[in-house]
Amino acid sequence: MLQFVASGIAIGCVYGMIGMALAITFYVTRIINFAQGQLMMVTVMVTAEVTGLGYSAWLGVVAGLACSCIIGVLSYLIAVRPILAFNRFGFGWLVSTLGFAVMVENGAAWLWGPTSIPFPTILNNTSVHFGEAAVLTGQQILAIATALIAAVVFEVVRKRTLFGKIGMATAADPEMASAFGVNTTTVAIVAFAASALLAGLAGVMIGPSTFANPYLGDTFGTYGFIAMMIGGGTERPVAALYGGILLGLSAEGANALINSRASDWFPFLVLALILVVSPRGLFSSQSPLMRRRVAAAAR
Amino acid sequence: MSTAATHALDIAGLNAGYGRFDVIRDIALRVGKGEAVGLLGPNGAGKTTVLRSVMGLIRQRRGTIRVAGTDVVAMAPFRIARGLAAMAPEGRRLFLDQTVEDNLLLGGLHLRRDAARQERLLASVYELFPVLKGYRRRLSAALSGGEQQMVAIGRMLMSDPEIMLLDEPSVALSPVAVDIVVRALIELRKRGASILLVEQRIDVATRVCDRLYIMTHGEVVEEMTPDTARGAGMSLINKYLG
Repeated sequence: MLQFVASGIAIGCVYGMIGMALAITFYVTRIINFAQGQLMMVTVMVTAEVTGLGYSAWLGVVAGLACSCIIGVLSYLIAVRPILAFNRFGFGWLVSTLGFAVMVENGAAWLWGPTSIPFPTILNNTSVHFGEAAVLTGQQILAIATALIAAVVFEVVRKRTLFGKIGMATAADPEMASAFGVNTTTVAIVAFAASALLAGLAGVMIGPSTFANPYLGDTFGTYGFIAMMIGGGTERPVAALYGGILLGLSAEGANALINSRASDWFPFLVLALILVVSPRGLFSSQSPLMRRRVAAAAR
Repeated sequence: MSTAATHALDIAGLNAGYGRFDVIRDIALRVGKGEAVGLLGPNGAGKTTVLRSVMGLIRQRRGTIRVAGTDVVAMAPFRIARGLAAMAPEGRRLFLDQTVEDNLLLGGLHLRRDAARQERLLASVYELFPVLKGYRRRLSAALSGGEQQMVAIGRMLMSDPEIMLLDEPSVALSPVAVDIVVRALIELRKRGASILLVEQRIDVATRVCDRLYIMTHGEVVEEMTPDTARGAGMSLINKYLG
């Protein structure tokens, strides 16, 4: 029982980080970057490659994260900015970010071939026992810690720093933000870089158990998207992390309590149910769960 | 250059619009340094489009717009916002999920490295609207319409602009709140601010302004003094604003 809860939270934190990554760019630009999963994959592949060349795993991780950030910013400059300049309210970005995802994925498959290559174990060989009931690898604990730190850092930056306040203003009303001196392009570039960094970190957490595969982005991109939707990350990026944890718990729970194939369909059932009850996600400010708290805070 | 520099705002031959057609055509108007000028007209006359053109929020614009001698017609809004022009937009458009003071500080973004100047401006806003000082830590969404308008005007003041653009600050406010806003604008004029005020209410415009322009159908059709406008009274309303 406790085992599936513990491993559900761990994998949920990985989904949640990708969900938060999606939510951060959505927060600032109101578009969903469908290449987010592929940005995660870039970190995984580059880390594996650099480590494979004989350098240390940590150097590989840094190189991988840097590459994700660069490609994340490129995804904005190539697939988002020109489209929004053409029509801010259209849905062209849907096709262009998907197209960018296909390009990155196929580029990776061309470079490294379609099969998996080894990924450094990092902390996957260590384990921590929680009494008799549960055991987590060091890697899983690292994933939980990283996600929590990322969420806290994001919230502190958003609420306590001038840059965060500029980001909030840009999210709420980009035109007014620019009328008061905000270069909204710079804000978007920083958001895409931060978002790619977060997706890349998710990749570092999951890499030791999935290995490095160019098609990794598809699955994790989808799960990240679900995490954002059920959490309500479109309004509060941190809510995507809660959504991810819920998703991880339902997948691991279905695996443990129903059967091993249930983890493929049960989370989607949960997604559908949650969106029926609370269309904007469980932890958004508009959800029935949160509305009372928000009303109390405004008073 | 020397004549242009004496004006806070000097617009000539301005055409601007959205998509394929121009909303405003061949606009010419001037606001002298320390002058308050009203721009009156019915709904859809293009008054807001003039303000948005000055602020750079409309890309499609031709002609010249000089703010304190600098041509801003090709500039991005965030550059124009650095001390040239600032606006209190229609509907106020505050950053509702942020506090009153954060809204004000975001207004003076280009002065963020000049803490002393920012502090002075903040003090002058609280002097103009003392009620805001007590609300500075409140979310701006929790304020009344009149108080929100004060924040919108304060946010505009915080960038210490050459020209202040106000878009119908009286709209949807109680008579008491309108009076507070009007008194604040008169006070700003006394402090030497240059103001372009878009209004539909003649009484508000005549109390605040030194000169008035009348706009209909995208063109400036008349220029007059507040006394003439007051004298014309209902006939002016019937002719243009009805």
